[in-house]
Amino acid sequence: MTAAFRPFRMKANNDQNDGELLRLMLAGDEDALTLLYRRRQAAIYRFALQMSGSPSVAEDVTQEVFLFLMRQGHVFDAARGSLPSFLLGVARNYVLRRLRGEQLLVTLADDYEDEVASEQTRTEPGLLEELTRAETIEAVRKAILSLPERYREVVVLCELQELSYVETAEILGCAIGTVRSRLHRARSLLLTKLRPAEQADQTTEVTVKSARCFA
Amino acid sequence: MNCQRFEELVSELARGQIMDADLQRDALDHERECRECMLRLNAEEHLTRGLHALKLEMESVSAPMALESHLVEAFRTRNVVHPIVPRRTMARYWLTAVAALLLIVFGVVAARWRHEQKQPRQVEAAVPSKQYEKQAVAYNRTPDQPKPERPAPERRPKRERRLNGLVAKTPSRNANRDESQISNHVVKEIATDFVALSYLNPENIQEGGQIVRVELPRSAMASFGFPVNMDRYNEKVKADVLLGVDGVAHAIRFVKEY
Repeated sequence: MTAAFRPFRMKANNDQNDGELLRLMLAGDEDALTLLYRRRQAAIYRFALQMSGSPSVAEDVTQEVFLFLMRQGHVFDAARGSLPSFLLGVARNYVLRRLRGEQLLVTLADDYEDEVASEQTRTEPGLLEELTRAETIEAVRKAILSLPERYREVVVLCELQELSYVETAEILGCAIGTVRSRLHRARSLLLTKLRPAEQADQTTEVTVKSARCFA
Repeated sequence: MNCQRFEELVSELARGQIMDADLQRDALDHERECRECMLRLNAEEHLTRGLHALKLEMESVSAPMALESHLVEAFRTRNVVHPIVPRRTMARYWLTAVAALLLIVFGVVAARWRHEQKQPRQVEAAVPSKQYEKQAVAYNRTPDQPKPERPAPERRPKRERRLNGLVAKTPSRNANRDESQISNHVVKEIATDFVALSYLNPENIQEGGQIVRVELPRSAMASFGFPVNMDRYNEKVKADVLLGVDGVAHAIRFVKEY
């Protein structure tokens, strides 16, 4: 009995890095697709969910990202960044397209955000401690969703996905300094949004009246 | 450290980012001295805790299981996988360039071929001029030069046409290329044979002479026995007059350009 000649073909396994799995997937290896999907789907789904607040949008975006990878995975260039960053960049584009197309969320106007960010945020201690854990999480989630897109994506990537400034800059296609300054403004906006209404009034008054200490 | 500088660093401090140790110590010293900045740092730390709680809450979240099967199904059935295609090459442009080049070459070849097809007509026109030149040479020859051997009488081509008494002296198509190149500049014309104007003494011609192109009234053709269209009798017609060394006209022929 003679063994039929078969060309040598590497099988996908979990020890292989993302680049190798992608190459095998593009060559038609279904196992590579499965491994790659299981390895990277959660981050993409969470990113889309945190950006949109909609599980259905997050699901659609995750699917679109992997379909894009199947069709045009050859455009990935390892020299320009890692595959997770590439996938999150693709996911970001799909999310923004959905958000802008469907107007799922109402964002703050630019003049308002600049006005709020420019003022020095003053918050009383124990602001978030007064809330229960579940309430805190829900409040933070809503506050993030109400941020303008450019601040929201920085908070999601740097705070919730815990990516470095460098990785975030790769995904957003901007400078590291831009990421840092946007994050700073985004946190100021979040503190303002999380402040209770009565405290906000007092704080605003205090902010106006108080002279800054330059000790 | 002042409050403005502290404000720039407060997010980094609250997030526990790595920073210069001296800078961190200065910021914390300032925070202990300034109540406003202490409150600011506390608020940032509370926010960091809130964000961290949200992150932990969502860590277990992932895409629905059905999505994986949908993607695998798409991978199998929809044939969405394309082989890795090399980036767009210049092959298309090269192909176009080669096609354009071939078109130009064929065009040039066709133009040359058509040009060569036209050449024999010009040769036809050249021969009368050639004979004209031969006669001129013969008549201009000086007496001391040896008389050239008389060439064998040329056989008139069968295609020679007679038209109202005018002989169209057409050469054979086999006239060599050099002759055609020499006479390319000559105007196409047909001419009659020379008709003697007086009793022609060959010795007078051997001493030399010349041919002069003149214009005569068309009615002059009748004097030499050629038919004349009376509707055009007042038009001019060209003629070559053979003059001897003494300036006497010895012969004449009529020429028609066409």
